[in-house]
Amino acid sequence: MALAALIMLAAAYGVVTAWGWPEKAALFPLVIGIPLFCLAAVEAAWSLLRPERRQTQAMDFNLSAEGHGTRRAAMAVGWMLGFFAAIVLLGFPLAVPLFVFLYLKLQGRESWTLSLVMTAAVWGIFYGLFDRLLHLPFAAGWLLGFLR
Amino acid sequence: MIEALFEGLVLVLQWKALAFMLLGIGLGFWVGLLPGLGGATTLALMLPFIYTMQPVEAFAFLLGMHAVVATTGDITSVLFGVPGEATAAATILDGHAMAKKGEAGRALGAVLASSLVGALVGALALALAIPVVRPLVLTFGSPELFMLAIVGIAFIASLSADGTRGMLRGFLAGGLGLALATIGQDPQAGVARYTLGTLYLWQGLELVPVLVGIFAIPEIIDLMVRGRSIAAQLPAGAVTTGAWEGVKDTFRHFWLTIRCSLIGTFIGIMPGIGGSVAQWLAYGHATQSARNAEERKGFGQGDVRGVLGPGAANNSKEGGSLIPTVAFGVPGSTAMAILLGGFFLLGLVPGPDMLTRHLPVTFSMVWTIVLANVVTVLVCFLFLNRLARLTTVRGALLIPVIMVLVFIGSYTSNNHYGDIVVTLIFGAVGYLMVLGGWPRAPFVLGLVLGKIAENYLYISMARYDADWLTRPVVLVLMALAAVVIVYPVLQSRRKVARA
Repeated sequence: MALAALIMLAAAYGVVTAWGWPEKAALFPLVIGIPLFCLAAVEAAWSLLRPERRQTQAMDFNLSAEGHGTRRAAMAVGWMLGFFAAIVLLGFPLAVPLFVFLYLKLQGRESWTLSLVMTAAVWGIFYGLFDRLLHLPFAAGWLLGFLR
Repeated sequence: MIEALFEGLVLVLQWKALAFMLLGIGLGFWVGLLPGLGGATTLALMLPFIYTMQPVEAFAFLLGMHAVVATTGDITSVLFGVPGEATAAATILDGHAMAKKGEAGRALGAVLASSLVGALVGALALALAIPVVRPLVLTFGSPELFMLAIVGIAFIASLSADGTRGMLRGFLAGGLGLALATIGQDPQAGVARYTLGTLYLWQGLELVPVLVGIFAIPEIIDLMVRGRSIAAQLPAGAVTTGAWEGVKDTFRHFWLTIRCSLIGTFIGIMPGIGGSVAQWLAYGHATQSARNAEERKGFGQGDVRGVLGPGAANNSKEGGSLIPTVAFGVPGSTAMAILLGGFFLLGLVPGPDMLTRHLPVTFSMVWTIVLANVVTVLVCFLFLNRLARLTTVRGALLIPVIMVLVFIGSYTSNNHYGDIVVTLIFGAVGYLMVLGGWPRAPFVLGLVLGKIAENYLYISMARYDADWLTRPVVLVLMALAAVVIVYPVLQSRRKVARA
């Protein structure tokens, strides 16, 4: 239901916005947006009128039974957002070892030795392959830029 | 022609060409395994190195690298649920599900063997098709290519979930993908569409951050929630046995593998459709091989046919996409466009010359594809035990490594933090889809095909107005789309009536 409602909203926004564009630019968004809105409305109505007794089977994997909306899933999202925040603030070269070490120590409860060795290994691969060999331009973090 | 075929083989087996090919294979092996590095990007990075090479050596190096990327990309998809390459995403659905059930060896065996079969079919098609491909390519104009895109989405949307409700969700997912593909500057009028006032979205959504988000993030969250290894345990000493079982699966479903290889070759031949499409169409076709609805439910849960189809198609498309590149100078994909640059750097002009004066060079490309895939598959089999055992490593040790690769992988698309934001947003969308039982495959196919479909629709309307709807091949494709939609509905009704 939530996804159908979101798609309905997105399709409505898409169609209303496209209405004011030149025909060339609006053709495809309208051709797709209008049927998409109608299909999403059907799905939303279906969900309201005849709620599913069992989940529809898609050609896809099933989440683990213990995973639905639990504290662990929220924590997983927290780690991802934390890693992203570290990348933005400190840049990849610092965020990568920091994240790997903290995750191993706090979430994995691994030993000091293993945590340090693995952090060094991951950082070594990151630095050697992506930075030195491929010269990928990793931006310095905002915080470091501000301090400089 | 036979003489040129053997001459091509001799040219590739000369020590210098062979050494460059092995170097290329080594590079391609790692590029495919690492999610952050794309085959096309690496091909572009390597172009400057071919200046001093002879044509055969240069193509042995570049094609040797490119030919194996999809194969090793499948390995990452199977083991970690992260697409090693954009062209290896479909393998995740059943390949990673098999790895989680402790059947990583079998999944790897199946994907490697089907990749080899696919590559051989693609290379054979390249060798045979050159004289006959011209009429085929010319039959497909913009209207037909647009309808081909629609058939592709109808195909996967109707087959990717159970029953009428599942089909509705499949079409919604496909439509959402098509709609999101319109983000960015429109190529016809130059209007910035749905860019939310940001410069980042002007060029549209990059495929890699979306793919990584929609497939890898739900898997990582699930792995964190479970707190165990990817596979609970591998059956004792059964990795090699499992791998042989996977090889046998390829021959058990040999015609399916061949058909999916031909789908890949066909999509490869069609200029502008793109390599990412072939795997999904092949996956859709593989699900059709299910004899009944019960069997179809097994797809996405670890059915080996869901591994064989994309595995074969994403390798066979390389031979296919070389056909228009070599014969007409029309690249079939981004990688082929870069390879075309290689032709000009070496002073070769694609077209009739490549089929007459330089025919042995053309055949040396065929042999490079064959040899590179044989070498890669053999090397992979040697390390299969170690590869499969990665699925039994504790989740706590794997997750930070996978997360680092996922974030770097998405960031390197544009070297912009926006790429990571896109990954996280589509990670949430992917998680919600999995949670609600919505199929993700039609969404990805819609996103991949969106820009192409829009372009072809615009050209069709501008060139033929509404008359393009009455062209014979378009009508045939429309009928095919209708059959693809109606058949599962009838099948589902019949099942209900029987119950």
